[in-house]
Amino acid sequence: MDAQLISQVMEATGETLIMVFFSTLFSLVLGLPLGVLLHITGKEEAGGIMPHPVFNNVLSRIVDILRSFPFIILLIVLIPLSRIIVGTSIGTKAAIVPLSIAAAPFVARIIESALKEVDPGVMQAAKAMGSTNWQLVYKVLIPEAMPSLMSGLTLTIINLIGYSAMAGTIGGGGLGDLAIRYGYQRFRPSYIVAAVIVILVIVEVIQLAGDRIVKHMMSHR
Amino acid sequence: MHIKLVNLKRDYGSLHAVQDVSLEIPSNTIYGIIGRSGAGKSTLVRLVSMLERPDAGEVYYDDKRVDDLEGKALIEERRHIGMIFQNFNLFSSRDAAGNIAYPMEICKMDKAYIKRRVAELLDLVGLAGRGDAPISTLSGGQKQRVAIARALACKPDILFCDEATSALDPQTTRSILSLIKELQAKMSLTVVMITHQMEVVRDACERVAVLDGGRIVEEGLVSDIFANPKSEVTKDFLSNLTNVKDSIVRWSKEEGRFTLRFRGGTTDEPIISNVAYETGATFNIRAAGVQHVGGEEMGIMVLDIGPDEQHVRAAVEMLRKHGVSVEGEV
Repeated sequence: MDAQLISQVMEATGETLIMVFFSTLFSLVLGLPLGVLLHITGKEEAGGIMPHPVFNNVLSRIVDILRSFPFIILLIVLIPLSRIIVGTSIGTKAAIVPLSIAAAPFVARIIESALKEVDPGVMQAAKAMGSTNWQLVYKVLIPEAMPSLMSGLTLTIINLIGYSAMAGTIGGGGLGDLAIRYGYQRFRPSYIVAAVIVILVIVEVIQLAGDRIVKHMMSHR
Repeated sequence: MHIKLVNLKRDYGSLHAVQDVSLEIPSNTIYGIIGRSGAGKSTLVRLVSMLERPDAGEVYYDDKRVDDLEGKALIEERRHIGMIFQNFNLFSSRDAAGNIAYPMEICKMDKAYIKRRVAELLDLVGLAGRGDAPISTLSGGQKQRVAIARALACKPDILFCDEATSALDPQTTRSILSLIKELQAKMSLTVVMITHQMEVVRDACERVAVLDGGRIVEEGLVSDIFANPKSEVTKDFLSNLTNVKDSIVRWSKEEGRFTLRFRGGTTDEPIISNVAYETGATFNIRAAGVQHVGGEEMGIMVLDIGPDEQHVRAAVEMLRKHGVSVEGEV
């Protein structure tokens, strides 16, 4: 193990963490309202509080199309957008844009399915008490779904760690990029091993932390 | 607050869930609506409680029409009613106190007031000091008590109970019913109780409407209906009741072909002896007891009549003439 490897792995880890943190944040900002909309405009039997079949169908299709878009292509297609938003099309900052947009529809579906688990009877009770739709969403629906939302968030973060490995394509850096450029293209397997170990550790830590938070939430219900 | 339903109708595709229901539910009373599953009870309560709109017909609270309210007016009106459910429908994300506070929070009431009112309500339903209990740690009866407190938080005029005791054991059912009765009297509530259990009607309600196939088949004072059931559905409900009733003493394994009901006035006379003497019929008593129905005492007797069909007919006719209600195939 040489000092160069260690410092490069440290730097790449930092880049990965930054990419994953911000893209999680922005994909939530985009995906949460989408997921809520998908759920509340859905069928009444499934817990939709403002059923709107046409809107729901259109939104649903859009989300599915975005989800089936290969990430590596999205990365390239969104280069102009990154330039508009962050002022550059290369680097860690620029990679956050396609990462967030790629994860948003995934987050939307995760949130929708978490909200579907909320007992429709509870929603009905809240409605009968005279809640406004807004109150139903933020005072009942989201708090009731919190443990499922939390495990969905864990899943999203772990997925984004995987996606972020491809950010090297646009010079985004990070552990995946390091493994490819040094480990694969320059035949230095120690880089691959180091990058994989760090990624495994990050994923494991996030999974464990997520599980603990969910468990903690459930024990207080 | 009295409730008036005029020619209510609601279809789901080809299913006529509620057809042409007209009903007057008087103010300050406990009103039962009983029916088998699929009779249209749940739809009816959803129509009356403004959760769903009728396809035709009108709903009035006092003299205000409420079935066509929209937007803010609808939300405002819903805040003046309370509702409890079979599955309690409490928020698992909130503790007991948080659940009770919810209807007051959505009305943007003062925080200090909410806190005081929550404590008051917990006390009212017999759960003082349990405010911080997570919902999952409460028993079924306690959950329904929290639900009742939540329903009454904003001092409603009407309380709807949708199968509120169906998930509870008989003992808990009795304690919840007596709590509802106590609160009804204290707060002058109009309580509408939807149920498939005749015990609930007998123990708690003053008046009852019997629902079958989406229509009201019988309506009146509970004591009248118990003494003199007219429709097949009602008779069916009552006969099931006699089988499970613990205040009836049964000294024969035989079911008994006839169920007789004696109202207050008739219980003093030796009717059975008189009938036996005059018609020559023989009576074989299988079970008997006294029930409290809608605040009235009622004698009940399960028996067989003999020796042949001719005597049976004569005896039944004479019993009926004496004001005894007779159920069973002649």
